[in-house]
Amino acid sequence: MSGTVRQEGSYAIVCLGGEIDLHSSPEARKLILGCLQEGKPTLVDLSGVAYIDSSGVASLVEGFQLARQRQLDFGLVGVSPAALNVLKLARLDKVFPIYASVQEGVASAK
Amino acid sequence: MTERGTLANLKPTDLPAPPQEAIGIVRACARSDITSKRLAEIVTHSAVLTAELLRIVNSAFFGFRAKATSAAHAVTLLGQRALRNLALCVAMRDALRPDAIPGLDMSMYWEQALRRAVAARCLSRVTRLNSEDCFTAGLLQDFGLLVMLYIDQDRASEWRRLAEADPDERYALEQSLFQTTHDHVGAALAAAWELPPELRQVMAGHHSLRDTDTAETLELCTLAQCADWMAAVFSAADKRPVIRRCQQLLHAHFGLTPEQGNDLLEEVAQGLSAAGAAMGMSVGAQITLADVLREANLQLVEDNLSYQELTWRLEQALAERDRIAAELNRELELAREVQRSLMPRDSDGDSNARAGIHGVNTSARELSGDFYDYFPTRNGQIHFCIADVAGKGMNAALLMAKVSSLFRCLAKNVADPAALLAMLNREIVETSVRGMFVTMIGGRYDPQTGQVWLANAGHLPALYLPDMGPVQEIPADAPPLGVLAEAQFVTQELNLNAGVLYFYTDGLIEARLPSGEELGIAGLKELLRKHAGVPASLRARRLLEAVRDAEIHDDLTLLMIDSHARF
Repeated sequence: MSGTVRQEGSYAIVCLGGEIDLHSSPEARKLILGCLQEGKPTLVDLSGVAYIDSSGVASLVEGFQLARQRQLDFGLVGVSPAALNVLKLARLDKVFPIYASVQEGVASAK
Repeated sequence: MTERGTLANLKPTDLPAPPQEAIGIVRACARSDITSKRLAEIVTHSAVLTAELLRIVNSAFFGFRAKATSAAHAVTLLGQRALRNLALCVAMRDALRPDAIPGLDMSMYWEQALRRAVAARCLSRVTRLNSEDCFTAGLLQDFGLLVMLYIDQDRASEWRRLAEADPDERYALEQSLFQTTHDHVGAALAAAWELPPELRQVMAGHHSLRDTDTAETLELCTLAQCADWMAAVFSAADKRPVIRRCQQLLHAHFGLTPEQGNDLLEEVAQGLSAAGAAMGMSVGAQITLADVLREANLQLVEDNLSYQELTWRLEQALAERDRIAAELNRELELAREVQRSLMPRDSDGDSNARAGIHGVNTSARELSGDFYDYFPTRNGQIHFCIADVAGKGMNAALLMAKVSSLFRCLAKNVADPAALLAMLNREIVETSVRGMFVTMIGGRYDPQTGQVWLANAGHLPALYLPDMGPVQEIPADAPPLGVLAEAQFVTQELNLNAGVLYFYTDGLIEARLPSGEELGIAGLKELLRKHAGVPASLRARRLLEAVRDAEIHDDLTLLMIDSHARF
């Protein structure tokens, strides 16, 4: 898995790529929670994700729950077909705000 | 830096002046037309040199057959080459007065040089080289160091460190102290003093064996290098690596065994004081080779002791690790046992089996995040559920235990699957840890009518295979439990007229086929069709066995309700 964080205005953009599984999901979790704990609205870019398992989805869920608790914007952007399929099967596509791009995410969230 | 000049930019005037009388003899010996008579006349000019030569020639160390009584006799006995060599040795020895370098006892330097000379002479026996040439090379090869200390006198206090270093260490130490090394300075001096060519090459090349004029000179350089290491066996602070290196060099260059090498070293130790007497050099108390080896062995024993200590600690750490691993395995096995007890045993002939409900679970690890359950209600209906906890391992297993207990408990009072899942959901959200969620299908089945009520919270679609007609998917219509407190769940209703309803977890559809592809939902449908004829009581296990050939990465769970059992 690859994971980077960048800043876009007030938003933190966590960009995840590759395979997010039992081994790599703790790293994804750390990146996402780190941004939210700093009080930043956060968008997670999943455009480069080839595979995500339930532990990876749990990291997104935890981010989603923490954001709600702290009343911060949280959403997923550019969700890859592989990741979208997993989210759709579990009806999580109805839970996470999902945007086509970072620009759209920042604009819609406001 | 001293007023004498800098070593980095060495000028001939910085060097000590050559002792003219001895150098005169060296130059005379180089002439092809010189006669012994003329040489004797030159030697006789210097009373000091005459006395020196007579002492050397008559010494036990050099062991000439006859005793010389005059300069002329000595010249005849020695021959031109040996005369030149001995004159050189005396010249160099006297080039610097004993007090030329304040703070340095010159005799300590010469004792080391003499040890190299004796070693070189001993070693010459296994070569075709002239023994006096070798002695001279050994004595003078490191003369550059003395010149360096003479020019940079502030460094005289470093003598002990230099003396106790092995040849490689000493070379590196020189570089850091003087920014140059004794072979470079030695070469400059040899050129300035017009020393014989082979000696110049030895002084310049005994550390980095390079191209020389002749094979013989190269052999002399190699021998000088070995002699340096042989001498270091007695002088280095850390003797064990020096002995090993010495043995390696003697074997590599001269084919000597360690025993032959030790014999030579013994000879060096014993020959040193005789050589000192011959050369008029004072030699301090010497340690024998036996002392050296004993000291080296003591170091070896010390090293071995610390090695044994290390081994012992490693063994302890490994034993501790094994003990903890065994304990953990026992704990895991107990946990697995409890977990198995949470799932119904699929024994043929019980009331559930008669009702057509079968389930099977195999775990890829000790603990599973999957589970299924079914049990009868008071009115003859059956509650069932299948669930998959996100993640794996102990935390998933603990959440699974909680969810399965809650399901059993709540189902006794809450008939509607959607209402039941909503209650479960709120419980899990309240105590949510690390975003862990549970996908679940919970429902009720009436074996009398074939009616099924179920709710799907984020779980993979249930598959209904009617005897006639296409497979029907019942997908999730709500998110998994534990994500959203306010999630809405919907009870779906269907009637199993004649067919089988299947529930499964992702381990099954992610199982790899021999082709390397994932089974997938489409592949599962095909597999279910293929096994439709297998008796219901065996089918669940057969289906798992069909994908078991493939490598299992996950837990596999399958639950089925077969309406045919009603008939």
